[in-house]
Amino acid sequence: MNIKLLTGISVALAMASCASTPTSNPALDNARNLVRSAEADPHVAMYAALDLEAAKKELQVAETAAIHHDEAAIAQPAYLAAQTARLAQLKATAKADDARVAAGQTERDKIQLNARTREVDSATREADSAKMARDQEVQKSANLQAELDALKAKPTDRGLVLTLGDVLFDSGRAELNPGASRNLDQLVQFLTDHPARRVEIDGYTDSVGTESFNLNLSQRRADAVRYALITRGIDSSRIVSQGYGKDFAVATNSDSGGRQLNRRVEVVIGGENGAAVAARGRD
Amino acid sequence: MDRIFSRLGKTALAIAAISVGTAAYAGNPLADEKIAVAKASVERAEQSGAPQAAPVELATARDKLARAEKANAAHEVKPAALLAEQADIDAQVAEATAQQQRAKKAAIEFDMSMQALRQESLRSSPPAQ
Repeated sequence: MNIKLLTGISVALAMASCASTPTSNPALDNARNLVRSAEADPHVAMYAALDLEAAKKELQVAETAAIHHDEAAIAQPAYLAAQTARLAQLKATAKADDARVAAGQTERDKIQLNARTREVDSATREADSAKMARDQEVQKSANLQAELDALKAKPTDRGLVLTLGDVLFDSGRAELNPGASRNLDQLVQFLTDHPARRVEIDGYTDSVGTESFNLNLSQRRADAVRYALITRGIDSSRIVSQGYGKDFAVATNSDSGGRQLNRRVEVVIGGENGAAVAARGRD
Repeated sequence: MDRIFSRLGKTALAIAAISVGTAAYAGNPLADEKIAVAKASVERAEQSGAPQAAPVELATARDKLARAEKANAAHEVKPAALLAEQADIDAQVAEATAQQQRAKKAAIEFDMSMQALRQESLRSSPPAQ
């Protein structure tokens, strides 16, 4: 270490003795500074290496002239070195900016693509869920239709009306036949599937017999059906029953076939909103 | 100037010595070439936005080029060549200054558009589920 240092000093002394006055030229100092700062700029090495090389060569010419005390020969290469160093830095800065923008362009494209993809995805999801909802709606109404078909219910002003024939009852009696069960099971299933719907059970008779007997019979038959539904698990609050006697005949009472049609129990099914079925006004 | 001659080499010196008698009638070919190069650089700078971006550098380059042409016409070869060299590098610096300002402006505009885009993207992205 000491030996190296001593050698360095002796060389410096030798040079100093050769160069009687150390060169201090403002143009050369300026060129050195500019070349040095260009060298220190990593962008210059990356984007303007050739210009930096040219600047260093000019500086070397100026340094050589300085060593030879050729003051007149320093100015031109020093000026060229300084300006070329500036040129290198300007070019490098511009190219670095260009490169940054070019690289960012890729990122920008990616962000825009992502945004578009998200938009498409969300539109697709919305369309999918809308379709699913539509499908469910269609399925639901198909199911309902199938159930109503099974019950043989008919749409009327008061709601869907399911007619249970008098075959459920023995003549003059209000107890349900054992064979009525299967008919009622379908209705129970429907009411279980649609827990919001209410029903009104309406009883009717033919015109044979007194008014009060028929009213009483029709009411008891309607009550019997209501009770049968309740015992099968349907909430009693959902069911009302009403006897209408011989009123609202659906066929003639002048022959046995018509009278059989008039002896009936109708189940009026209310809407999905759970509204009560309106009672029938007497004509 | 020494450097200029060193580039030419000893052969060129010999030829120059022979042709001294005949060369006096016109501008020195070396100076002519340097002036032509400088002229091209000045024109390029003029067309690349340097008049707005680097008017001082460009004016300096033009002035030096004019003086180089004048010196060359007066058979002052050495000053003509030196001035042409300086005019050339000055014009290049002027052009590069304009280019650098353009790049910087574009980069700033790009940064702003990216920032806007990122904010837009953050706003429109769905909440994490």
